[in-house]
Amino acid sequence: MLRRDRWAFAGAVTIVLIGLVALGGTALTALAGQDPYTYHPEALDPQTGGPAGLLGGISGTHWFGVEPLTGRDLFAIVVHGTRTSFLIGLAATALSVVLGVLIGAAAGYLGGWTDRIITWVADVFLGFPYLVFMIAIGLVAPPSIPKQVLLIVVIGFFGWPSVARIVRAQTLTLKKRSFVAAARVLGASPWQVFRTDLLPNLWAPIIVVATLSVPGKIGLEAALSFLNVGVPPPTPSWGRSIFSAIQWVATDPMYLIFPGAALFLTTWAFNVFGDGLRDAIDPKGGVR
Amino acid sequence: MYRKKILAAALTVLAVAACGANDQKPAGGQAAKAEKGGTLFILSEGKTQNYDPAKSSSLAITSLGLVHRRLTGWLNAEGKEAKVIPDLADTGKASDDGKTWTFALKEGQKFHDGTPITSADVKWGVERSFAPAFSGGLGYHKQLLVGGADYRGPFEGKELDSIETPDAKTIVFHLTRPYGDWPWIASMPAFAPVPKGKGAEPDYSEHPFASGPYQVAEYKKGVEVKLTRNPSWDKATDEIRGGLPDQILIKLGLDASVVSQRLVADSGDDQFAFGSSFASPAQLSQIQTNASAKQRLVTSKTGALAYLALNTQKGPLANPKVRQAFQYAVDKSSYQIASAGNAALAGEAATTLITQGIAGREQFDLYSAPPNGDQEKAKKLLAEAGFPNGLENLDFVFNKDNNYTEKAQAVQAALLKAGIKVNLRPLESDAYEAETSLAKDAKYDLTLASWQPDFPSANANIQPLFQSSEIGGGGYNISRYNNPAVDKLIEEAQATIDPAEAGKKWAAIDRKILEDSPVVPLIYTRNSFLHGSKVGDFFIADFPAYPNYLQVGITK
Amino acid sequence: MTKLVATRLAGMLLVLLTVAFCTFVVFYLVPSDPAQLACGRPCTEQNLALAREFMGLDESWWQQFLDFLTGIFAGRTFGTGATAIHCAAPCFGYSFQQNTDVVTLIADRVPVTFSLAFGAAAIWLVFGVGLGVLAALRKDTPIDRITLAGSVAGVSAPVYLVGLLGILLFGFTLDVVPVGGYVAFAESPLDWAWRLILPWCVLAFAHAAFYVRLVRSSMLETLNEDFIRTARAKGVRESTVVGKHALRNVLLPVVTLVGIDLGGLLGGAVITESVFSLPGLGGLLIDAVHQRDLPLVLGCTLFAGFLVVVANTLVDLCYGVLDPRARLT
Repeated sequence: MLRRDRWAFAGAVTIVLIGLVALGGTALTALAGQDPYTYHPEALDPQTGGPAGLLGGISGTHWFGVEPLTGRDLFAIVVHGTRTSFLIGLAATALSVVLGVLIGAAAGYLGGWTDRIITWVADVFLGFPYLVFMIAIGLVAPPSIPKQVLLIVVIGFFGWPSVARIVRAQTLTLKKRSFVAAARVLGASPWQVFRTDLLPNLWAPIIVVATLSVPGKIGLEAALSFLNVGVPPPTPSWGRSIFSAIQWVATDPMYLIFPGAALFLTTWAFNVFGDGLRDAIDPKGGVR
Repeated sequence: MYRKKILAAALTVLAVAACGANDQKPAGGQAAKAEKGGTLFILSEGKTQNYDPAKSSSLAITSLGLVHRRLTGWLNAEGKEAKVIPDLADTGKASDDGKTWTFALKEGQKFHDGTPITSADVKWGVERSFAPAFSGGLGYHKQLLVGGADYRGPFEGKELDSIETPDAKTIVFHLTRPYGDWPWIASMPAFAPVPKGKGAEPDYSEHPFASGPYQVAEYKKGVEVKLTRNPSWDKATDEIRGGLPDQILIKLGLDASVVSQRLVADSGDDQFAFGSSFASPAQLSQIQTNASAKQRLVTSKTGALAYLALNTQKGPLANPKVRQAFQYAVDKSSYQIASAGNAALAGEAATTLITQGIAGREQFDLYSAPPNGDQEKAKKLLAEAGFPNGLENLDFVFNKDNNYTEKAQAVQAALLKAGIKVNLRPLESDAYEAETSLAKDAKYDLTLASWQPDFPSANANIQPLFQSSEIGGGGYNISRYNNPAVDKLIEEAQATIDPAEAGKKWAAIDRKILEDSPVVPLIYTRNSFLHGSKVGDFFIADFPAYPNYLQVGITK
Repeated sequence: MTKLVATRLAGMLLVLLTVAFCTFVVFYLVPSDPAQLACGRPCTEQNLALAREFMGLDESWWQQFLDFLTGIFAGRTFGTGATAIHCAAPCFGYSFQQNTDVVTLIADRVPVTFSLAFGAAAIWLVFGVGLGVLAALRKDTPIDRITLAGSVAGVSAPVYLVGLLGILLFGFTLDVVPVGGYVAFAESPLDWAWRLILPWCVLAFAHAAFYVRLVRSSMLETLNEDFIRTARAKGVRESTVVGKHALRNVLLPVVTLVGIDLGGLLGGAVITESVFSLPGLGGLLIDAVHQRDLPLVLGCTLFAGFLVVVANTLVDLCYGVLDPRARLT
């Protein structure tokens, strides 16, 4: 138990640190004297266009080396990419949790046709190759909508079924408990019951689900960047860096390692923290 | 320009040798001479290989040419300017001021089944290209032939009367207007013969009637195409094709990085192979660190014009002075790095619209600036035009394929230094087309594009990009340049039959358009191809920037 | 029972129909013109109109969707006369870009994706369940802790990242396994397995992590239950207790998870396939999306959706077999 907590603590510390990096990214890169947009052709190998020097061009000036073909500072790119990943990951999670809780609670509490329809819609969503759908939406949406907002909405929207499922199951259990039944008999409206009786008892599982779904959302943002429907360049994004690094894996592995490590560290931190939370709330709880 | 080349040469001695800056061969690389026989492998990313001439936009010297001959062909040799030369027929004679063209077919030419090729088969082939079911190929002839505009192909029972076949060896074309480049048009895929009455089936592309040195022996969808010798092909009647290998296997649907890895490794059958797509910057970077692969990399001397198109109909960009500022603001050097890692592999900085290797081209530079651009001068021009604080919020769309993401960012960074702020908007290929070439009203301010002429004439460099008739509706005038004076000059030059005289006119148009600055020429894009160690006679002439498939062979 | 099967089937069809409809509508809205690829160069308005007409794109959107649906049962013909293209029932559309009907295109890719998914599933089941049981039996020992830490890493690392690192380490640095490419089983079973070994392991690593955690926790739960204690007290051998009684209880959630995972993977592991350059269904779908090959997009989406739905149904049926209590509901 103690060990588990220690892990969770490490996860929490990491999250806070990464959060600080996301907030203070500009100051941090300014400290290094870099920004993620300026080209440094002098840092490139004139023969290959790859970074000059060993390990992707790591030096006192470029702490993580530079990006091939542009010479942009990789440290600055990774640090600024934190902001993109964090913003989209957290906001999308928030959206899908709100949707999932409302829909799941409605399905569980109201039952009957509402439940059946919601379960069916969730089935449709699960049977849907959502990546394809996301690409299509990215193409349909007018360019005046910022891509960041679009990504949050799309990723968040497709995330509700898994949350709804858990909330629905919890609600079904709660519904049988006497205090909910009592409120119902006393003539409280579903919204009142939801606010006063259900929600307070749902908080714990919601927080756990939310924490554990952040990494998936961050990963999805990266995957969408791979399919080139993520945030537009030159705004740094770990996903875009990782996927441009695929081509360079043989000649410049560090281009993959740094953004990859940042992505892994973040998802890992959320996972261990989420696990710890769940163990703390429900030591016996299931895994998924 | 010349000094720049020397500088690049000093930086990368070997790379420049491979580019053949002075037509030199790298030591040992491809010295071996190809001989007759053996099996050649072509590694292709494409999932299909189209051998239907009507649907093809294949160059005269690549895959389609292995199976089909055309009315005329291209002289494609290292160090020689591209020229129209006889293939099935001579290069044509003009009459009626260039509105009527007559071609005489050579004797003794047969399809693979032994039937003689007649003028009626060429006519049928051209007519067939008008059928809705077989559209999609190069169609420059469609608007030029009398009655072509509303002709729907021979399968509905009607002939195209503007093509006459007085006898089996003569074919006459009647055009709507004088057109000096018609012999070039006759080298397009649609001018390959299809036996009269044949070719109605949708998969004709997989088992066509062959007139070239090879026939399609087997077509495994998505996997492989096997070409074997065409027994009826006679080398004596064909001055264009070498026909060296006994067999050619085209492997389909391969991943670009897999092709590159295999060719670098050069083991087994891959020694007898070459890749049909050009190497990406990352692949080039890897090849540069591998001595063996580096020797087997063939880079074209020049190639397609890469340019930044400025939407001449929108906002501040409607002002020529503002557009001229862009000529100085761009950083061609960082564009070269983004394109291929270094200048030698990317290609020289461009200053003209007519590409190198095209007859009649004149070299000039209206906006001379250092390789990194002259952003101060750009700012000054902008200030003079009434924008002392630069420009903001310009919409810069680009096709996300072909490394344009990197290239667009390079342009963006340079423009920023000149006080021009642009927002990048990456689009999928066809969404890109929908917003640029197909759009009636364009939303974009800037875009990146690249243009390789479909036939080696300055006409094909300029007309598709700058005539006002090519704005929207699928045309490639994406700078939306509309200048009646230039339109008139283009028509005059097209009507000129004497190539030398026409060349002068085109060169003058080139200069005149650039004075208006609708586009910023960036580089003449070099393409690099990798081949196996047992592949010989693998060369890229001045035009086009693709290897000549017709001469490639296997070395012993 | 028949009624249950009938409602389930109807539900499945409805889900698929909805998926097809949504896909169709969204892609219909995308600002692009599939006919443009068949327009040629120079592309004139006339050529474009002809191409649209031939591909049936000149009709209204609902007519096009109805054409698609009727084609499944009645087949379709594009164009008229000598040059018409026939697509026999069940016609899930015709890809003009690849000159082939969609069913053939999908059938060509199925072996690759299925090889990838089933091979990986075999590995992750063996390791996931094995390690999960081991960790549960050795609770709070170093083995348990290492397994758990490893599984958190596996859950956290996105598949593409593990894949790329795998390529980097085993493919390039150590140079022990081939990178990318697919060889058909019929051509050379050995090459087939050898080429797939890295993608299998990568997919398995990412998935096994979930199974380890799942098996471990439900195993621990089961081992604490009365019937196990009774069995132990009665002197039943430990291997029988674990193997026969406890494991059977653990199987239920594992089956659910396998069903969902396989259903998703068989429809095309888009990113894994792209990282390892495998010519599978995922690649087919993404290429189709990129080239706006709407018939192919629809076909692939429906096929993927079909697999997910079938997997879910099979899971439900397995529940009935494995857990007698579930049969009643």
